[in-house]
Amino acid sequence: MIRFENVRKSYKKTTVLNNVNFEIEAGTFTVLIGPSGCGKTTSLKMINRLIEPDAGRILIKGEYIHSLDRIRLRRSIGYVIQQIGLFPNMTVEQNIAVVPKLLKYQPAQITDMVHELLAMVKMPYKDFAGKYPYQLSGGQQQRIGVLRALAASPPIILMDEPFAALDPMTRSSLQDEVKNLQQQLNKTIVFVTHDMDEALNLADKIIFLDKGNIVQMASPEEMLENPATNLIRSFMGKRIGGPDQPPEYAADFMRTNYHRVNKNKGIRECIESMDRNNVDSLLVVNDDKTYAGTVSLKTLKNSAKSGVFALKRKGSDGKLHHVITPHVTCERPTSFIDEEARVCFEKLLETDSRYVVVLNHDDTIAGIVTDTSVAKALADVFWSDEI
Amino acid sequence: MNLSLVLEHLVLVLFTILFTLLFGLPLGIYAYFDRRAKKVVLWSVEILQTIPALALLGVIMVVAGAGKATVICGLTLYSMLPVVHNTYLGLSEVSPAIKEVAIGMGMTRAYRLFHVELPIAFPVIFTGIRIATVTAIGAAVFATFVGGGGLGSVIYRGIRTQNMTMILGGTLSLMLMAVIIDCSMGFVEGRLHRHRRK
Repeated sequence: MIRFENVRKSYKKTTVLNNVNFEIEAGTFTVLIGPSGCGKTTSLKMINRLIEPDAGRILIKGEYIHSLDRIRLRRSIGYVIQQIGLFPNMTVEQNIAVVPKLLKYQPAQITDMVHELLAMVKMPYKDFAGKYPYQLSGGQQQRIGVLRALAASPPIILMDEPFAALDPMTRSSLQDEVKNLQQQLNKTIVFVTHDMDEALNLADKIIFLDKGNIVQMASPEEMLENPATNLIRSFMGKRIGGPDQPPEYAADFMRTNYHRVNKNKGIRECIESMDRNNVDSLLVVNDDKTYAGTVSLKTLKNSAKSGVFALKRKGSDGKLHHVITPHVTCERPTSFIDEEARVCFEKLLETDSRYVVVLNHDDTIAGIVTDTSVAKALADVFWSDEI
Repeated sequence: MNLSLVLEHLVLVLFTILFTLLFGLPLGIYAYFDRRAKKVVLWSVEILQTIPALALLGVIMVVAGAGKATVICGLTLYSMLPVVHNTYLGLSEVSPAIKEVAIGMGMTRAYRLFHVELPIAFPVIFTGIRIATVTAIGAAVFATFVGGGGLGSVIYRGIRTQNMTMILGGTLSLMLMAVIIDCSMGFVEGRLHRHRRK
């Protein structure tokens, strides 16, 4: 359907496309993806001749597009852009009807078409046809943008990051709609994005570009299984296992924000701090930052009540304070960071302690493992997105 | 003072604006199309505006003789700046995305201009027309010196005969005319701008 043959393009000294060759089959959804400046948008705009190549040829249905009339070529290709670009001086109906009008369709035929198209995206004709773009939400505007591209039933539709400016909810519903429309109407869609999730959702074939070269051309499954380079791997992020080992050590399950105090802190200060942070125990460290033990809110409150203060130290304000040192215990289970996660879990389950303290090999604290931190780490593995 | 003088004044202004549009709009569009011409065009209309209206009328009268045609010709030159400038400005302000999508959909240059760019730029252009109209109402007072008639003759006669009522009568009716026209055009302008806002 669309074929690029040795296409080159450079601006001054930067090469945007470097001898690119690919073929897009009819009725497929092809996504061009890559880092910014990789030449994906340039390639797209060459198809409707908004940009002309320096060398090489592009064929559509076996015809060299450079020998076709530019205006007629463009009328036979749908075009959707990121900024939506609805004409603000025209109503929804007029916007959709632009290309059919250019092609001199009969007015009655155009009206029928607009009815049909609006029905496909469930925007009732009587509610929306007469509205101006500024009266629509971003998602509705881009739906109209897509319908406008579909209006004269062009076999090919070009989409240049059409959903990048939309919020995630709207984006994913529009992705579904576009994918459905494409399959229903059997269109050839060329879609530019920098979002790998979007590419994997939509594409029949992904073409990954970098610095004007095609790095990999493959189906989403293939690319997931077998990313050609580390760049593609990094675009895939957490979607693939790759070098990220599944979590198996205590360190993989711990969280690193916890409340820590020096053992020479005053009792009252610690009680206040625990109340403020809504925790019932604190990790206590020695002066050299090594782990000393933990202290619980209950013990401190009891000692404060009974008035048994064994040890006084000079506090930061120069006065003598009752310090927490005598109340620090080492009952809390501990693990080293490289201890197997299973052992660490057993400690967490066996004792009635709410958490396990994870230590580095120099006895400083690395973090704590709690019910929640375990659940979170597991969720990351299963659903691969940040929670 | 009678109504026919007011009408005469209005007719002068009306023809002035008509000719200003006839020449100003194409000049503004030309400045937008041709980057090299832009500077020359904008610079010329600015220079025209700096010439005192009276002097401009005088010069034209010397060449073309006295009469209404001289007045309309002079005022037209004098009103050119806001129309040319705002036409150019309105067209350049159309968002690049809109322009690109219009090209990408296969519109010809002329189709793009008349169906997309001019309609979108129209509120800005209309502002220019409004400024030109109000300026022309004031400047048309000088018509009386080159045999054009209008309300200027009332004021001038009042000054010559030291007749305060006459001066005030002429001035107030002129002001009233300017205010009414400015307000009604302002109202239209407000409605035009409404559709453009997001």
